[in-house]
Amino acid sequence: MNRDKVTVGQFSLLTLLVISGSKFLSLPSKLAETVGHDGWLVLVVAFLWDFVCLAFLAWAIKLNQQHHLPLDKILRTTLSPIVEKAVHVVFFVMFVCRSVVLLNSCYRMFAVTFDVSTNWVMFVLPIVAVAFFAIARGFNSIARMGQLMCAVIVLCIVALLSFTIRQTDFGGIFPIAEAGVSNIIKATFEHSYWFSDYVFVYYIFEHIQVKKRVFTPIFTSFAVGVVLTVAMNVIFVALFGSIAPEIKLAMSKISVFSVAEITNGRWDWLTLSVWIMSVLVKIVIFIYCAYKCGEKLFGLHFSKPNVWMILAIALLLMLPLFVPAENIAQDFMDKLLVPFALVQYLLPISLPLLMTLANKKLNTGVQK
Amino acid sequence: MLCSAHCFTIFTQRVYLRRQTGKIYCMNNYLNQLQKTYQNDDDFTTRQVDCGMPLTLCFLDSMCSDIKISNYVVEPLTYGEKATDFECIKKRLTTGAIVKEPANFFDVLDVMSNGYTVIMDEQNCIAVDTRTTLARAIIEPPTSMVMRGPREGFIEDAKTNLTLIRKRLKTADLKVTTLNVGKYTNTTVFVCYLSSIAEKKVVDEVVQQVQKINIDGVLDASYLSRYIDKNKTALFRRVGMTEKPDVAVGKMLEGRVALIVDGSPMVLTVPYLYVEDLQSPGDYYEDNTMTSLNRILRFISVLASVLLPSLYVCLKMYNYQIIPLKFLITVLNSTQAIPFSPLAEMILIIVIFDILREANLRMPSAVGISLSLVGAIVLGDAAVKAGLIGAPAVMIGALSGIGLFTMPDNTLILSLLRLVITYIAGVMGILGVILSMMVILFYLCSMQEYHTPFLAPFTPTMDNDKQDAVLNKPLVSWKKRPKSIPNKNTTRRGQ
Repeated sequence: MNRDKVTVGQFSLLTLLVISGSKFLSLPSKLAETVGHDGWLVLVVAFLWDFVCLAFLAWAIKLNQQHHLPLDKILRTTLSPIVEKAVHVVFFVMFVCRSVVLLNSCYRMFAVTFDVSTNWVMFVLPIVAVAFFAIARGFNSIARMGQLMCAVIVLCIVALLSFTIRQTDFGGIFPIAEAGVSNIIKATFEHSYWFSDYVFVYYIFEHIQVKKRVFTPIFTSFAVGVVLTVAMNVIFVALFGSIAPEIKLAMSKISVFSVAEITNGRWDWLTLSVWIMSVLVKIVIFIYCAYKCGEKLFGLHFSKPNVWMILAIALLLMLPLFVPAENIAQDFMDKLLVPFALVQYLLPISLPLLMTLANKKLNTGVQK
Repeated sequence: MLCSAHCFTIFTQRVYLRRQTGKIYCMNNYLNQLQKTYQNDDDFTTRQVDCGMPLTLCFLDSMCSDIKISNYVVEPLTYGEKATDFECIKKRLTTGAIVKEPANFFDVLDVMSNGYTVIMDEQNCIAVDTRTTLARAIIEPPTSMVMRGPREGFIEDAKTNLTLIRKRLKTADLKVTTLNVGKYTNTTVFVCYLSSIAEKKVVDEVVQQVQKINIDGVLDASYLSRYIDKNKTALFRRVGMTEKPDVAVGKMLEGRVALIVDGSPMVLTVPYLYVEDLQSPGDYYEDNTMTSLNRILRFISVLASVLLPSLYVCLKMYNYQIIPLKFLITVLNSTQAIPFSPLAEMILIIVIFDILREANLRMPSAVGISLSLVGAIVLGDAAVKAGLIGAPAVMIGALSGIGLFTMPDNTLILSLLRLVITYIAGVMGILGVILSMMVILFYLCSMQEYHTPFLAPFTPTMDNDKQDAVLNKPLVSWKKRPKSIPNKNTTRRGQ
């Protein structure tokens, strides 16, 4: 049994989970800081671009059904081993940085909302342990878990938004595009780091199995994720207006509006607890990908999960003990934005072509 | 003791004989070998008979029926016509229904230990079925009582159990493979399946798995279930167990393989899905709406049983803001004088409940009821009145404990899980509960055996199979067999 096998349906639902898993935390306030109440427009533009990339990726997935080639083999065969390693380095840094940022948001979420005050080490280690367990059980277990929990998580988000929407004055989002189109596009590029959540696909590329359709499930899940995220952002800026940049954790404050009276208790926390699973699933996926990056970087393949590799990743996740997590994200954006943008946007678009070339080369090799 | 000594003698004799490689035993050696093998065993009986030619009858007295020996063997041989050769004895002078021809000495030992009477002359040997029937009556199984539906239950006799299945499956498609497991017990195992439905690769895997078993003895089907579970799953049951023939047949009709183990009233079925734990034998004889409601209730109660204690600890220790103010005040008033922390209080209650449950199981039923009452009223009430534990915690603990019994086969493992999750909740708060749930889900999602994912039909999603998962669609709308169970014939009805 292939423990990493994923169906297109499961991949689609995971995409939906990872989209809605992180953009409800600190991103809305960052966007509000940059473009004011037009933050949701940045999301729309970024998602449009993501949609184009995802379409090419879906095409590549369809093309890959014949040979089930992994990304590293495609890059090695068509470009060069150096390019392959460089791509893995960029991805490794990205997965670690994004995990740190997500963990930091989660940490604050638990400390602020759930009153669970603990130190960073004791917070991160159990999550890494869960990720280690997931790696041991194979990506298939993550995909199935996503499939199982997706409906419940989406329902919780919808419940939180639908209760809040009744108390929202949408006048706050007007005039639309006040920040200016160029600023919105510039902000999209500057915050591109927060998008392209589907990048985990590169590390399960050869394991994706297509049964019937490819495009419909992927685009449907993506569309649901986009609608939920944009709706949440619109509600966020409409609710908080000019103080939106100060609200560092969007979801924990939005959910307050779904409670009629505080004396009735914070029942919204229960839905919030379910939703936070999607953030944790996203962290687990990124740690899994970082692990796989490490394997491919050093040309290793472990039949059983390697404890040292996980410990190395866990050590990297301890960086916020020395450098603030915000700085890590900022440094990443400043120094690695261009290489990441290249990998983020150029790789998916060129992947179908690279795959065709790789298939041709491999077929020629076999014939010879 | 006699039985085990007897088995041991057979075993040592077999080992001895196997070491004599290349040595051929002729028939007149069999009697000597048998006498050597059963030396000092009063159960071994021989009798000389003359029916025109001298014959020796050998049997184990405790395993054979005197009447059968007399009617099927001795009477025809002594009162019948004179035999001219051994072929004549085999064809005309034994009236037993089943007559076997052992190929070697090991076969002779096998048939004798199964209650056959061996008839031998100097060169030939046959065995006539004279097994004694020692079985209790077929009654309603105490673990699977139903309001409506068949009340027959399996018993300890494998042959009777096979009859109970065949009575419901009157088709030539029902195939039975007989295997013997256990070095000393030589227990008969019937592997039953419907050849036109069950996938051959699954049947082959099950047979191989049983053949691989190397164990001293199989005393119950549960022994076998641990060997059939290929992944040796630590948590959760991976092999179905039923005491009801109708349930076993229902599962075989979906493509599963049933294993009947001699000496056990439990019949094993594989592959097994987690959703089967939610199903009760009576579900299929009730209205489908009621069945669906019952299953939802079972699901909720199990979920609540596992999570309620941990959520209570979480809310009380970290997130009391979730609780509505008036309710919170009531809870705080009733627990303010408790000397223990919410975590210690809840763990104490769970452990006490588990002790009571365990003691109740071991007690005779009459004492058991008194014990339950003492446990529930005296212990619980006295502890609350003494101010040792709070009433809300007792209520949560009791509710959680009772809820576990809606899934009776998994009570122990669920109880262990709730204890662990409660402890983690006390240490890590809601994050601990979420992470624990994630680990359990990853574990469940990764399980797959005999080409069947454990959490099917929920993940991977199989829409057709959801007709009989938590919600139960009307029987008339079931057209296809479950996809999660590998099968050759997907259509339940029609062409």
